[in-house]
Order: sequence, then structure tokens, then C-alpha cells
Amino acid sequence: MTYRMFTGAAAALITSAALAVTVPVAAHAAPAAATPCGAQAMVKETLPNGTTWQMCWRINDKAGLVLSNVFVSTKRYPEPVQVLDSIRLAQLNVPYDNGDTEYNDLTAIGMGGYGLETLTGDDCKGGSIRRGSDGGGQPEQRDVLCVSAENRGLAYRLHEEEWDDEKDEPKDTIYSQQGHDLVLRTVSRLGWYEYVTEYRLHDDGQISARLGATGDLAPTEYSVANNGWPIGKGAKDYATMHYHNAFWRVDFNIAGKGGEKVEQYDTATDGRGTMTAKLKTTKTAIAKEGTFSRVNQRWWRLVSPTSKNLDGHDRSYEVVTTGGDRYEGHPETKPDITFSQKNPCEKWASDNASDPECPLDIQTVVDFVKDKEKLSDPIAWVRVGFHHVPRDEDQSPMPMHWQGFELVPRDFTEMNPLTPDGRSGVNGNQYPDE
Amino acid sequence: MVRIRQWGWGLGIATVTAVTAFSVASWQANATPSAPPSTPAAAGGQARVSDPSPVPEAATGTGNDPLTTGEVDKARAIALTPQLAAEAQDVTGKAGPEYLAAELDVDGSRQAELYYYDYKTEKLFKQVVDLKTGKLAKSYSATGMQPPASPQEAKAALELLVADPAGAELKEAYRKATGKTLTGTDGIEPIAHIYTAKPADKGASQCGKSRCVQLIAKTADGHFINVTGVVVDLSGRTVAHLK
Repeated sequence: MTYRMFTGAAAALITSAALAVTVPVAAHAAPAAATPCGAQAMVKETLPNGTTWQMCWRINDKAGLVLSNVFVSTKRYPEPVQVLDSIRLAQLNVPYDNGDTEYNDLTAIGMGGYGLETLTGDDCKGGSIRRGSDGGGQPEQRDVLCVSAENRGLAYRLHEEEWDDEKDEPKDTIYSQQGHDLVLRTVSRLGWYEYVTEYRLHDDGQISARLGATGDLAPTEYSVANNGWPIGKGAKDYATMHYHNAFWRVDFNIAGKGGEKVEQYDTATDGRGTMTAKLKTTKTAIAKEGTFSRVNQRWWRLVSPTSKNLDGHDRSYEVVTTGGDRYEGHPETKPDITFSQKNPCEKWASDNASDPECPLDIQTVVDFVKDKEKLSDPIAWVRVGFHHVPRDEDQSPMPMHWQGFELVPRDFTEMNPLTPDGRSGVNGNQYPDE
Repeated sequence: MVRIRQWGWGLGIATVTAVTAFSVASWQANATPSAPPSTPAAAGGQARVSDPSPVPEAATGTGNDPLTTGEVDKARAIALTPQLAAEAQDVTGKAGPEYLAAELDVDGSRQAELYYYDYKTEKLFKQVVDLKTGKLAKSYSATGMQPPASPQEAKAALELLVADPAGAELKEAYRKATGKTLTGTDGIEPIAHIYTAKPADKGASQCGKSRCVQLIAKTADGHFINVTGVVVDLSGRTVAHLK
């Protein structure tokens, strides 16, 4: 929705100006992706497969960890290309099933400032703890960000058999490669609950955003059998079930061009072929703001209108989300994803009205899209819910439970960015004449 | 020439009897290595990231850097105009607004957005300070907006609760948790979360227009006491039961 005058053109100008000003900061780095932040606020790491992620980080008093200006480059494609303008949490709504308690952890307490934990112990084992501002009203320099490189298991495997003409014998090549993630995480403690904000940047270009919850169950939240679960001896104390309704705000800026188009794809059965069902996949352009939910075989992507990979395909990222558990108690927690036109007044997915420069009645993602404005600079608001039914094992500390979603490159590069040299010719139909 | 290709994941076997010259060339150039190179770190131990030593905080930031301590101090001095300092009131009733938060304006040049609450008018103030020019660029205020509480507000809420008959619940929970009697507010760290009345809520319907919090109390030995059902109205300096 439009209610504060920021034109796309003006924003673009400001961005390029900021980039120009800060080029010297990133100029030591080769290959250089101009990143508008100083060295202390920058994370730039190269994973074993040769993939380099570079971004700025900071702590916002409400959102906690904010990543901005996220660039990726790989050994095969060494030119850094921007993926995200920014990504951060946009709300964490925690209503209890008895209807008597509800928290909006971002906008009523805040993940940054005094809510942000100083990292210690095993918090960042094997990684590097980075010091920075905690984002509080009276900011303190603390050890708050953990940066680590973590194995993610097998990135790919391919057993290639071919005929060696010279030796006149079969030849086997096994391509087998471990993948790694660059992981950034912070911990916030809001009362007894502790939340881990985590972004995993995979060496194949995928980004996983997730929220972990640990700490302890609420000490005084007990109810009855139909909305609690007995913990402790016997069946006396029913720990109240509750939801963690998490929202993320994702702002793409593919190849620094912005202006992504939003597309929805649906697959449906369409008769039968000679052997089995025929399926038909159709694209729906999402040209205007709206809220959307998953059904079977539905997905979304954000497509650059101008940036193409070397195959001539539009670069895009797919939003892979299940929505998790859907909380029916609020209109804004029902849709899985909301696409809205970027607007500085739209900061929080619910309980949004906290800026006197902005209207009071624009409270939730549902309000953001009410006027169905044309999308020329889309923001994706991704909701993932987790219905927590307590169990005996939740005491104590509570085992970490996770909720999140993935951003997966689609045609961002013309091949797998981790393609080994031996497979570099395998792009497209290998036998076009057949 | 006959080539046999098989993909390990079972796509099947493609038998090719004729290949274009281009395919042959690219094939032979790329298919020769029998042991594809694997990076040492991936083959062996734990992958590592750099581990830069912390450096002293810079006086000023650039671009998307977080606001520095120096920038926040400077911005607060500019944001607190003589008028605001004289006319507004903080949570304790003293002259000057309650300082809440500082955020970086992400959509423009480097500006600090400072948030204050005036308990006299129940207005939230947003003061935008241009860090380059050192001037107050914009100022906004509105009622009905309640961002998270400052540490001073959390402390004030705890004092109000302990002094009120409704504090009995907290005192009893404290005694159970620690075996000690709570006198005053020593030994408790308050965690406040903003309470805004919803249409169906009972007991504290003014909250939202007024600035209200619910409290979680953390005892010195790490127990959490959740003071459910009680709302502290910092504007009215009252304590209300929700049910």
C-alpha cells in the first residue's frame, strides 16, 4: 500500500549512491561486491567448494538479526551477484491455546537490545563469534553473532560410466562432493523462552531461514487436558499448548536490479498418458498485492525482469515453504505468504503500528495488501507456524524445536554452481538430434 | 563409434550412434579426468571461517552499519529538543520524555530514528536525526502506539506492582520459588512486555491508548515468575486484573 511517499526510482538512486560511497570499504576484497557497510558489520566467507557469501549484519532492537546486501559468488561463477536486499524476522506471535495469554515477541518485547544474549559456552563451537552493537537504545558492543561453516552432507553424487575409445574399455568416474553452509545465528532470551535466529547460506546458492526455540516452558502456564499436556508426575499439571507464529520479511534484489516479478505455479492432473497420469503446470502472474496459501503442488518464485543467466533464462529464487501449522485465531496467521509492494511503513507482520510517521490502522499483512496495489518492488512476508504441544522431554532445558523455510535459486546460474569440471559440458539436452 | 552413457541415479541408458562434432569435442575435453578433484577441506576435516579479532567500536558508521554508541549519543542530544525536554514527561513523572529506542533508517541516507514516549500527552515521538548534517530532519508524534518498554519502565512497573494489593500473587510466587519473603523490588529483575487491549479483553481496556505492560519477574537465582492476569498501567500508575 502507498501512504508514505517513497518512489521506486528515488530508492534506487539512493541505493546506488550508497554503494558508490562505500565502494572503498569493500575494495580490499577481490572479487569485490560493493557492500554498503564497514568491515566489522560484514561477513564474507568462502566455503570449501569455493562459494563465497558476503553480507552486512546488524541487530535491530525489535527484529534481532538483520542481514542485508547479500551477495553470492562461486568458483564457477566468480562474479558476485546480489540475491537479497535484506532478510529478517517480521513477527513472532505466541498465543496460548487457553486463550488467556498472547505475546508479540518482536513488537512487545524485542529480540535485540536487552533481549539479545551474549554468546558463550558451546553457542558457537567451531565457529567465530563476532562482536557488534546489540541494537539497544543505549547500544552495547557484545559478542552476539556466531558465524560458522557447517557440513551439510552430500551436495551431489554421480556415477558416470563411459566407454574409453582409446583403451577400448569402460571407464567409471564417481563425482561425490560434500556440501557446506555458512551459518549465521544469534540467540535472544525473552523470559524463559530462548530463540535462535538462524540463516544458513548453502554453497549451492540456497538460503535457509529458521527459528529455533529452546529455554524452558512457561513456568505458570498450566491448563486443562484439552489444551494442555500433563508434564511432571501423574496427570496433574497440564502445560498449556501454544503456537509460535513466526513471520519473516524477505526483500530480494536479484543482481542489484530489483523490481522482481512474482509468479505462482500450480500443477494439476490433466488426463492420462500412455502409462500414467498426465500433469499440467500453469503459471499465474501475481501482478498485484495479495495473500496466498499453499495447496498441493503450488509454489512461488520471484523473478528478475532484467537479469538473466548465461542460458538466457531470467534469474529467480523460489520460496519453498510449507507454512507449518496454521493458527486460525488471527486473519494474518492464516495465509502462508503475502506479497506486498515495498513500503517503509510496513515493518511488522502484525502489531505493525509503532511508527508515528505511519498510519495507525495498518496493523497486519492483511492490511498491507488490502488495496491490491500493483507490485513493482515486492516484499515477501513468509509465515511459518509451530503448534507446540508440550511433552515430558520439554523439561529441561527444552530440546530445540525449529521452524523455517527455504529460498532456492532457480535459473540463477545456467548450471549447478558446484558442477565439477568433468560435467561442465552437460548443459541442456545432450542428444538434441534424437 | 558407439558411446554408452549411464547416469548413476538410474535415468537409464542412452545409446548414441551419431554425435555432432561439437558434442564430441566438449565431451572429450571434459570427460577425461578419472578422479575429479576434490577440495582438501571438503575431503578432510571441519570447514573453517575466519575469526577476526574484535576491534574498538568506530566513532561513526557507514551505509548499513549499526548505529554506533557515539552516533546514538549525538542523535539523542539533537533529538531532545528544548520543547520536548520541557513539556514531556517520563514514566517517573519527571520532565523530559521516556527514551525508548534508536533505529537506523534503512531507506535513505544515514539517519537515526529515535523513539520517545511522552506520558503527559500519551504520544509516541519519532525524531529523525540526519547524522551527516547533525540536524533534526523530521519529527512525528501519534497516540495509540506502544513500542517495547525501556528498562526504566520495566522497573517502574515492578515497583507499582509490588506496592499494590495485586502484587500478592507475585510475592507468593516469590516465596514459593526462593523460600524468602519479597520486600521491595530487590532480588527481582523485571521483564516487561507491552500489553494492548483487544476488543474481547476485560479489565484493562484503556491499554493501548495508555501505556501498559505485563511482567515476568526473574529472581536472583534464575527462577522466572510469570505474573499472569495482572496488567500494570504505567500511564495511570494503576494495576488491573485482567479477569
